[in-house]
Amino acid sequence: MSLKAFHSRIRQSIADDNLQLALDNNAQRRMEGRLSAFASVPDYQERRTLAHAIKADVVANLDEYLHQFITRVTENGIQVHRAEDSEEALRIFLEIARSHQAHLVAKSKSMVSEEINFNHALEAAGLRPVETDLGEYIVQLRGERPSHIITPAVHLRRGQVGQLFHEKLGIPYTEDIPTLTDTARRVLREIFLTADIGVSGVNFGVSETGTLCIVTNEGNGRMCTTLPPVHVALMGIERLVPSLDDLALFLSLLPRSATGQKLSVYTSLLHSPRRPGDIDGPLERHIILVDNGRSRLRSSPLSESLFCIRCGACLNVCPVFRETSGHAYLGRDGTLAPYPGPIGSVISPGLFGCENFGHLAQASSLCGACKEACPVDIDLPALLLRTRAGETPDRGQPGTGLPGPLKFGLHGFRLVAGTSGLFAAFQTLGGLISRIYSPRRTYMHLPAWTGWGYSKDFPRLAVRPFRGKWKNLKQEIDAKPLAALSTIPAQAIFPVVDKSLEDQFTEELTALGGRVTRLAEKDLPAKLADFLASRGLDRVVVDETGARVVSPELLVRQPDPDVHVGVTGVLVGIAETGSLVLVGGPGHPLTASLLPQVHIAILKASALVPSLAEALQRPEVREAAAAVIISGPSRTADIEMTLSIGVHGPGELHVFLIDDSDGV
Amino acid sequence: MPETVQLFVTCLIDSFFPNIGEAMVRVLNRAGVRVEFPSSQTCCGQPAFNAGLRRDARPLAEHTIRVFEKTTGAVIIPSGSCGAMVRHGYLELFKDEPAWLRRAEALAQRSYEFTEYLVDIRGVTDLGACWPGRLTYHPSCHLLRSLGVDRQPRTLLAAVKGAEVIDLPAADECCGFGGVFSVEHPELSAEFLKRKITNLETTGSPTLVVADTGCLMHIQGGLKRQGRNQRVVHIAEVLANI
Repeated sequence: MSLKAFHSRIRQSIADDNLQLALDNNAQRRMEGRLSAFASVPDYQERRTLAHAIKADVVANLDEYLHQFITRVTENGIQVHRAEDSEEALRIFLEIARSHQAHLVAKSKSMVSEEINFNHALEAAGLRPVETDLGEYIVQLRGERPSHIITPAVHLRRGQVGQLFHEKLGIPYTEDIPTLTDTARRVLREIFLTADIGVSGVNFGVSETGTLCIVTNEGNGRMCTTLPPVHVALMGIERLVPSLDDLALFLSLLPRSATGQKLSVYTSLLHSPRRPGDIDGPLERHIILVDNGRSRLRSSPLSESLFCIRCGACLNVCPVFRETSGHAYLGRDGTLAPYPGPIGSVISPGLFGCENFGHLAQASSLCGACKEACPVDIDLPALLLRTRAGETPDRGQPGTGLPGPLKFGLHGFRLVAGTSGLFAAFQTLGGLISRIYSPRRTYMHLPAWTGWGYSKDFPRLAVRPFRGKWKNLKQEIDAKPLAALSTIPAQAIFPVVDKSLEDQFTEELTALGGRVTRLAEKDLPAKLADFLASRGLDRVVVDETGARVVSPELLVRQPDPDVHVGVTGVLVGIAETGSLVLVGGPGHPLTASLLPQVHIAILKASALVPSLAEALQRPEVREAAAAVIISGPSRTADIEMTLSIGVHGPGELHVFLIDDSDGV
Repeated sequence: MPETVQLFVTCLIDSFFPNIGEAMVRVLNRAGVRVEFPSSQTCCGQPAFNAGLRRDARPLAEHTIRVFEKTTGAVIIPSGSCGAMVRHGYLELFKDEPAWLRRAEALAQRSYEFTEYLVDIRGVTDLGACWPGRLTYHPSCHLLRSLGVDRQPRTLLAAVKGAEVIDLPAADECCGFGGVFSVEHPELSAEFLKRKITNLETTGSPTLVVADTGCLMHIQGGLKRQGRNQRVVHIAEVLANI
């Protein structure tokens, strides 16, 4: 099969002004966001190097790490399934669904699910999968595949979404992004509350503790893994980190690289299904570990591609992606590669065959912006080159996708340049021919079919090449005396600023759109009552901490989707990111910080720690059935990269920060 | 005894832009370096290597290694991507053959890009060059990201008398050359080039300086096609101007 579809899709993309605007916007915003997020990490390069080394260790010793992970996860009460390929993964899922007579499946983002064609298979089996990430939901309604691994609807503009929601959801046409977001919230809230199964991907599995870590911004990931009676996680076997310390490192890289956030709004840390005494959480948790070609990729020269953490930074900086979007990465058979961009041009041929996808690696100028942006320092240009050379697990054809004449030309060039005599003769001949072809212009006008001539002229060869001038030049310079040298200036050093944890926390959370009120403990009940009264909130879901400070007549102790405010305690606050760590368990329903529109968190200043790594060291985090790290109100930027607050999770986050540091 | 270096002039400069080669020899000479030119050199093999045709790249890489093995002193390469080929590409090409890998490593260790050699090895920052008017610098991808060379050409340009060096917007974006890419994906290459030329326009500089001949012929070719007057010059040409 030919590459015609691929080339014509590229041309269509370039000619599509709407798409070009959307892609330029994406590239610009994501690039700026990433750079400013990493400004707060002075040791970024060291972290990258370390992350690379950790992933190298995981991939080299994958069997051991996987064994440890499976042992821990099983001990924690999660049911583990292993799937060799996509058919097996789907069969396992459908069996789980059948055993629960499930029909409605609420799904949060998972690239593995794209890879195994999950939605299609479920529909064929009579189930109803519903994507709940706003961007994924939009592309699902359009009957499309995502065009970006973290911003699935990056190819669309607001008018197109408005038209879609008008047609499919029956709302009046609007281009108002908050209205569109709110419509999705309303429709999907019903799905979360009635779904039989929640499905998610896994961003990181932690071998040492059996933790499933899932990051989302909208809150749909929390919904899918908390509300339905059964949660099924899909995970590629390579997505492991050894320990929670390593997880902290990777979490300092992933959101910054993906969306320019220090942390995503919700970082869920899941260990087990609902335990006795818990009032929320799924009754069953399953994890399906998917191989689907990864073991073969691992023992190939492309194994480094398994270090990928799916942040999408390489897509955002790639000048090819910027022209094409993910929808142009077509196989020879016309199917869309599940993974686009520079990383996709390696793993799509690596996992699904060089024959069908190998040519994608040729669509790169090898500029290296991808490697530079990669938080795990994956040498993508080197991997693209290996893919081009056919060093894929299935031993592809060298130069796959290269047009015949180019292949022939390069072969001929090798024969000519193999000996200097022949090379010099061809230089002279070329000089003469180009002089005849273009007697006056130093740059020749070549026809478009040559490729080069499509947009530029080509220089004439010199009649006398450098080697012909060397003798005279040497005589000239040998006659001159040689000179002496100067020195190199030193480089600047950055200053370090010191702030209190309270100040840092307040500053960070405020920047995320959260509100922080600092007060003495004795003033808390009155201030809280004032706040609730001022907003007319007369029913409040609470956890144990909330129950102690909210007046009893307002209390609701069971999860209730109709209550608009939740008041909870906080295990620890993280100053560097303005985050709250909440652990589930008896007396601590995680739904209290998820379902209401307003979340009020009570945090003691003495419970602040400087960094994520320190927060993850708390034993409560690893002992909980589920824990969540909250960094600001729920948000999305899935429509035209425009920030919208309050998607599925709370749209308001208020922290009452109690000053107890000097014994008040 | 003055330092003697070996010039790997690269096939593009040799065949298309011999003046750049001359300029480079004069500049090195002015920096107190004696230049040799092993005349049996041809091409480093990068075009075939980048296309994925390693069997076609290999004889040229072997040839280049043999040519420079017969010489001593640093090997100076006036093009970022050819420098990256010799420094990194050869190690990849021979990764499974220890004997050749050792020879490739020996060459990689004594190879330098032109401005890198001047600034980092010779410690030269001011060559007494003079260039009246505006200049702007395009950091070529392989030079910038594969060799990590950026401060060096900028330092050298900053010392050029009479030159007003203007920042090129989105300077680190690829110009769309990429070797076979520019021929194989003409539409994509054309879009990158368009952006580069638009950014060049905004600087108001009549001259764009590069340290890679691939980018030079690509951007200059685009400017010529569009009938524009800006000139793309190699940094050696600027530094040779006194």
